[in-house]
Amino acid sequence: MSGELMIRLNVNGEDRALAVRPNATLLAVLRDDLGLTGAKRGCGAGDCGACTVQVEGEPVASCLMLAAAADGKTVTTVEGLARGGDLHPLQKAFVKHGALQCGYCTSGALMSAKALLDRDPDPSRDDIKAALSGNLCRCGTYGRMVSAVEGWREHDGVPLDALPRAHGERDQERDHAVVGRGVTRYDGPDKVTGRAKYTADLRLPGMLYGKMFGSPIAHGRITRLDVSRARALPGVVDVLTAADVPAVWYGVSPAREDEQLLASDRVRYVGDEIAAVAAVDEETALRAIELIEVELEELPAVFDPEAAMAPGAPVIHPEKPRYAGNVNTRVDWHFGDVEKGFADADHIREQRFVGNRTYQAPMEPHAALARWENHADRLTIWTSTQTPHYVHRSLSRMLGMPMGNIRVIRPPVGGGFGAKAEATPLDYCSAIFAKRTGRPVMMEYSREEMFKHFRGRHKQYIDLKIGVKRDGTITAVEQRVVLDGGAYTSYGVITAYYAGSMLPTLYRMPNYRYEGTRVYTNLPASGAFRGHGVPQPRFAFESLLDMIAEDIGLDPIDIRLRNATLPNTRTCNALDISSCEFTATLLRARDTSKWPEKKGKLPRGKGIGVGCGGFVSGAGYPIYRSDFPHSNAVIRVHEDGTGVSLHIAAAEIGQGSDTVLVQMAAEELGVPYEWVWLADCDTTTSPLDLGSYSSRVTLMAGHAVQRAAAKVRAQVLAIAAGELSRDAASLVARGGRIFVRDEPAVEMEWAAAARLAFGRHGPLVGTGSYQPPKDLGGDFKGGAVGTSPAYSFSTVIAEVTVDLETGQVSVDRVTDFSDAGTVINPVTFHGQVEGSIVMGLGETLLEDTLFDSKGSAMNPNLHDYLIPTMQETPEIHTAAVESFEPNGPFGAKEVGEGSLVPVLGAIANAIYDACGVRVTELPASPEKILRGLAARAPADGVAAPPGETLPGLAGHTAAGGVPA
Amino acid sequence: MTIASIGWHRPASLAEACALGLRYGSDAAFLAGGTELIPDYQRARETAQHLIALESVPGMRGISQDQGLLRIGALTTIAAVAASPLVRELVPALADAARAIGSPQIRSMATIGGNFCRAVPCADTPPAAIVSAARVRLVGTTGARELDAVDFFTGARATALAAGEVLVEIVIPVQPPHSGASYQRFARRRGPALAVAAVAARLTLDGDRVAEARIALGAVSPTPLTVARASALLKGAKPSAALFEAAGELCAQAALPISDVRGSADYRRELVRVLARRAFQEAVARAGGSVQ
Repeated sequence: MSGELMIRLNVNGEDRALAVRPNATLLAVLRDDLGLTGAKRGCGAGDCGACTVQVEGEPVASCLMLAAAADGKTVTTVEGLARGGDLHPLQKAFVKHGALQCGYCTSGALMSAKALLDRDPDPSRDDIKAALSGNLCRCGTYGRMVSAVEGWREHDGVPLDALPRAHGERDQERDHAVVGRGVTRYDGPDKVTGRAKYTADLRLPGMLYGKMFGSPIAHGRITRLDVSRARALPGVVDVLTAADVPAVWYGVSPAREDEQLLASDRVRYVGDEIAAVAAVDEETALRAIELIEVELEELPAVFDPEAAMAPGAPVIHPEKPRYAGNVNTRVDWHFGDVEKGFADADHIREQRFVGNRTYQAPMEPHAALARWENHADRLTIWTSTQTPHYVHRSLSRMLGMPMGNIRVIRPPVGGGFGAKAEATPLDYCSAIFAKRTGRPVMMEYSREEMFKHFRGRHKQYIDLKIGVKRDGTITAVEQRVVLDGGAYTSYGVITAYYAGSMLPTLYRMPNYRYEGTRVYTNLPASGAFRGHGVPQPRFAFESLLDMIAEDIGLDPIDIRLRNATLPNTRTCNALDISSCEFTATLLRARDTSKWPEKKGKLPRGKGIGVGCGGFVSGAGYPIYRSDFPHSNAVIRVHEDGTGVSLHIAAAEIGQGSDTVLVQMAAEELGVPYEWVWLADCDTTTSPLDLGSYSSRVTLMAGHAVQRAAAKVRAQVLAIAAGELSRDAASLVARGGRIFVRDEPAVEMEWAAAARLAFGRHGPLVGTGSYQPPKDLGGDFKGGAVGTSPAYSFSTVIAEVTVDLETGQVSVDRVTDFSDAGTVINPVTFHGQVEGSIVMGLGETLLEDTLFDSKGSAMNPNLHDYLIPTMQETPEIHTAAVESFEPNGPFGAKEVGEGSLVPVLGAIANAIYDACGVRVTELPASPEKILRGLAARAPADGVAAPPGETLPGLAGHTAAGGVPA
Repeated sequence: MTIASIGWHRPASLAEACALGLRYGSDAAFLAGGTELIPDYQRARETAQHLIALESVPGMRGISQDQGLLRIGALTTIAAVAASPLVRELVPALADAARAIGSPQIRSMATIGGNFCRAVPCADTPPAAIVSAARVRLVGTTGARELDAVDFFTGARATALAAGEVLVEIVIPVQPPHSGASYQRFARRRGPALAVAAVAARLTLDGDRVAEARIALGAVSPTPLTVARASALLKGAKPSAALFEAAGELCAQAALPISDVRGSADYRRELVRVLARRAFQEAVARAGGSVQ
């Protein structure tokens, strides 16, 4: 009975008869046999909900349902929602409410919502939250989904247009036609219909599937590797070991190229790649992986960075003597005179804080599809990446091919948050397989493999000391940080610098010392995670500042106001801050949250806390030395002038960059938003852009777009000037019309002028580039990290409830005010901030990757590594303060990363306010809170006075001990 | 991940299902909702080469009341149990336990029979069923038998089912008058998450005193754990905060928790104490009584 079965399904109204294998899941049959790739595979274990479809009207996890078990049933997928050319009102509601970002969870969320509405067309908010509680969204778009489901009827019979939902939805008054408006998300319609094809949704004829084989132990030497049984398995086409791939040392950071594609000798963490298999299908590849035989000589391993530095600790990179003592990066900065600063202080307090090893956990697993182009020695690769350019460059170096022979295409990306900011073994191995086999090769990580590949947050051990005057003025700050780097560098050199460089941006600190040490351990490599190195030191700083404020009798907001950075400031570490409305964010958040009525006045178990943060708007320098502009754009007007194509390789990963770039193009050109087509992100058609990291896209790619558009507009206006017999300088282009500024009746169609331009001069094209100022930063080692053309600022006020019996913390309400300069699109702006709050809540309360005493991951899945769901999401109020950044396009700067940074400290401070327990180790698990409460309650039942900090909250380390 | 190739059987009758189960023995697994079984295959926890899908077996689905007995077919989905007006009226703690399981997607696939037969220590419906004095009806190739639900569980992921035996239904007697039951669980998040600890309790009142107390703990031992000492303490006593505290303490002492990624053994014990107290309080309230 193990042959194929005939089953009948009614899928989206069509009867289908299919031969399926009994072990095939419904998800696999929908995606592979029926081409319905709207349902996604996010975890393969029923945890994430991305695969949700309706079976007989009920929402099911199609990854857990065997197709054979669905025989005879009716199945509805996201592709079945729209009727003809018209979207279902629920789909329109999702687009108009901005209820999607990366879009990877969207199909599943829509199907859960549809199943609810089929049962109850007017559900309560609580019913909506319960119905969608099984649909994880790492972009944290939960609040908008609730609103969309609640308001779905408003979109019945209403066409989907580009105009903002709420009439003129804007946070700030600006004289722009397109910029500043909550126009319909550019990628929205594709993402609510399942039409958006992510990398793993692509299918090519003859395509093979590849899988990686990794080390079962944390540290060892390979003594025998035998892949002959795997190679002999029918259906296996190729197997790679170290002997088959270039023996290149690589790494995204040129300062530390310490990785090899497949280990020939030493493995350094559980999962370190040893071999790869390509087979006719995934099942065969997985079976072949199990047939690989490896014998290893186990070496002593170390999982704690402080232990790794001790004399006699195992050496993880013995081939590189420069990493003696397993120290990968050391930073030693001293600005001003810290000794004098502390001598001048009236009050000094120091505290150790310990962070957590959190994982980005984007909903879309990493994937790559490579095709060798047989007509020439060329490679095409589709890859799920935030940084197409760094993948392009890395492939060129690994494969010894000029970049001109490699074409990188970035399909829609289902979230990254830093996890997809460098080339992965999937990129390299799929390319090598494609060349060797002549067939296209698809490779994907499983959810577990994603956790093993990691590149998540560095766990930081932070010793922080702050000195203040009696009035709260900061006189000196000293910070020592040890970072758990894991087995390889990834972005970690930069992380070690960022952990120190960003502290002085928020508050004036004349004297500052920072020592950072990034250390190798036998754990998966840490990398760049949203806020890159900054959230944990900021959590420490905001916590210690609150402790000091209490010591000296100041309100936490007042001590922040006293020290807040002002506009046009050079920090002690030579960072130049231009616009800065930090003070305004503090004042507005204080008013809106009704802080004065709540702080210190809430009943026991309820608390309110403040935290602040900010980030760079694009790194001032690229990862590797280059003279290229960081962002580049080409705009091409169609010959009849009614359409425009924008070619740019910036990476939409959910943050809404496609939409804001199209808005900026339309604004500068003077045409409607709907005229602009965004060309696919493809290195053969789009010029260099460094990608989506360091919150650089709005400012840097925005500048490139604006400059390209300005050149096109100038050409069009020159033609119009002739036609209207006026000076070009007197003309205005807006909304597809060109008119004389002081005589609006004298006008012509923008398209007509563009048509004439094409007729006279041929293709109407403009190019634009952006290069940050060349001289950013101080003249000291590492002075480049933290430089940026502009900085964001924000204040978060969190309100929490602590269950004093279980230690469980729930976040009830969050108020955020951000200085992001000009807000280009309020819908995507709020989506980013709300998502940061949800993610920050998870990092503060829930998340930590845990390892057993042998370095094996204990929770590499989404039912043990819990991220926030719709039901954890608090009531959120977000707003932008009035601000204009002189170095940004249209006055804009970043919001996507900076808005995460304040959340951890705000929640920790609120917990203290609620129950007197000072969280010094993340996450603030209920177990730690309960232990803190117990330590605070003396035998006579009288609570300890506030202000007491509990060092004993430690004791449960990730590697070895009992997790908390 | 995909699962290895398997033999697929779709019996049309219970007798046929039992015969297949007997024929393949430990090399067979019965498939109901699959929400435990399929992931168990993927992580190589389940290796049976033959899947026997119970889908088409008649008479194993649905909730009915029959001569005072509430009968829940083993193939009834968790969603149906949670939503059933009968269950909500007669054994609300069981409805609460069902509602606490997984996500809507899981609840619409998972069955109450599966929740019993996979016998995961943190399963939610067994403790609630046990305090409701539920019995399970098993049918095998040689006939049928009934067991108290508490005796169905013999270890972590182990049950009293013999080869070829199928759990057909869960039978719950009429709850005694003046009874109230509660299911209290703790998980790390409000959204879908496995229980870290759970306590089910049913208190039957006689005037202002507890006539009978049934208690079952979940997620803190290999099988659902009844706590005779706490039941004995409660029996005959007047409900009070101090009594519930003392009984909760006995529950905490009885628990046999492990430390894992969801919580330490010490923390689980502490949770049992708190959850037990909360369960007693809600049970008394549902029984129409009051706590001094």
